[in-house]
Amino acid sequence: MAVTQTEGRGSSGDTKGSAGGGGISLEMRMLVPVLLLLAVLSLFPFFYIIWMSLNIVSLINGISFDFAGLTNWTRMFTDEIVGAAWARAALYFVATVGLEMILGIAIALLVHELVWGKNLVLSLILLPMFMAPVIVGLLGRFLTDSSYGLYAYVLRELGIFERDILGTASSALPAVILMDVWEWTPLIVLIVLAGLASVNQYVIEAAKVDGANYLERLRYIVAPSIAGVVIVALLVRSMDAIRYFDIITVTTNGGPGNTTKIIPIRLYETAFRFFDLGYAAAIGLGMLVFSILVANVFVRILESRGLAR
Amino acid sequence: MTTSSSGRSSGTQVILYAILFLVLLWTLVPILWMVLSSFKPGVAQLSSTPVFVFKPTMQHYVSLFTGGNLGAYFLNSVLAAGFSTVIAVSLGCLAGYGLARSHFRGKRHVAFWIISTRMAPIAAIVLPLFILFRYVDLLDSIPGLIVAYLTFNLPFAIWIMNAFFTDLPPSLEEAAMVDGATRFQAFYRVALPLVTPGIVTTAILCLVFSWNDYAFAATFAGPNSQTLPIAAAQLNTQTGLNWGQLSAIGTIVVLPMIIVGLAVRRYLVRGLTLGAVTGE
Repeated sequence: MAVTQTEGRGSSGDTKGSAGGGGISLEMRMLVPVLLLLAVLSLFPFFYIIWMSLNIVSLINGISFDFAGLTNWTRMFTDEIVGAAWARAALYFVATVGLEMILGIAIALLVHELVWGKNLVLSLILLPMFMAPVIVGLLGRFLTDSSYGLYAYVLRELGIFERDILGTASSALPAVILMDVWEWTPLIVLIVLAGLASVNQYVIEAAKVDGANYLERLRYIVAPSIAGVVIVALLVRSMDAIRYFDIITVTTNGGPGNTTKIIPIRLYETAFRFFDLGYAAAIGLGMLVFSILVANVFVRILESRGLAR
Repeated sequence: MTTSSSGRSSGTQVILYAILFLVLLWTLVPILWMVLSSFKPGVAQLSSTPVFVFKPTMQHYVSLFTGGNLGAYFLNSVLAAGFSTVIAVSLGCLAGYGLARSHFRGKRHVAFWIISTRMAPIAAIVLPLFILFRYVDLLDSIPGLIVAYLTFNLPFAIWIMNAFFTDLPPSLEEAAMVDGATRFQAFYRVALPLVTPGIVTTAILCLVFSWNDYAFAATFAGPNSQTLPIAAAQLNTQTGLNWGQLSAIGTIVVLPMIIVGLAVRRYLVRGLTLGAVTGE
């Protein structure tokens, strides 16, 4: 949903490999109509949300727009609740993505060394990734339910934690973070394993002959070779981390006492509980800016890897 | 792999498997517990200590379909996810090929626009779409959900198919054209069959993304268009936490996606990294 300049201006349509005929190449006839549809799907809502953010939008008897200039914007930059939600989102983001990266790389290194059953182990590790996040959240609620939950029971019996996990301010955020980590660490494992598979085996063998131990090989050969893949994994995960908020919605929905209220949850309640849609649009644009920045870094890395031509 | 395992002593392997056993325990226990609970009779469900041995029952599945209207929700999910996938992949093949084989100024801006459309936060897209859908009367309808899913599936499909077509040397199509094929035949008969793995992977990922969607359906769907994830979430509030039924619906939602997902495991990396990392 970013503004862009489509096609070149003027006579710059220097399409290659087209077999003449009518002037417009087949490539363009295949590309342009689909891009027009995508423009309807993405640019239209994009400009619309900008317009919404400049209005007080009401849903009472129909939809009414009241032009309000930058009111929503000035309000957003002084709103402590929204500020706190951004701070919490940053914490949630760093904790989930950070843990997923560390665990994912570690598990990938272990799986890579397996001699027997590597494919089976990988397939089993990947399972959570295919699950609907909403089901992961509901399953998390089930497991941590203070009366019937398996994990709540185990923690209680071990004397580690005896209160309601999702209902207690100190444990709710770690619990939803772990649910996210459970679901998405497999993605990092999968991507990093692909990177490890492409490390030059001869160099590894040569290093072994020269007496380099595992950690030295990791530090001087493996790490530099998989650095690019690890960064791709980080970016892909980062873009999705700000996209989804399903797990929190169905577990705590921001509670208890706002401890899990990250920015998309706040946006959602602003829009659909307080029906302050113009203000929610301003918050949404703030999130959009973030994801466009990440996407920008992603495309730059693709280009440096020679993959986006 | 086995040839280079000279340094891998059996002792190291034992430790490896021990650690990975713990990883698998952490990964699999919730899933196994969900499947187990879906066959567990109500009484065993309401025990305060976990019950592992019980007489399996289909009661939760039966009551979901008889009293819970699950058949209709299932159909809604299939229609919304299915149509959005077919449309996205078909158009994605056309545009992905067009993008891969054409060179024009500003191409990288177009690419960036496509990828940032795919990456836009759902919460930010839902808002304007909600108002627009109200105007054009697409709320609470399957076509509405299909359009909503296209907002992320279409850019995804274009992007991935572009990556697969870019990998394909144009010389094959040029050779076909020398042999008398038209430009379109070169695409349809030569290039398209060669990217079959890419098409299948793209289709399966589109299917998984839309089948698993909660945020769009929660905002746009109503009684006529409720999908499975919404039904699951509502079960939780309406009937006072019926964990048996919830486990059953969870199993129904999750199982098909696990099967199709693992079926294309070799190509997943390519799709999930948006073409940036090539798999095995």
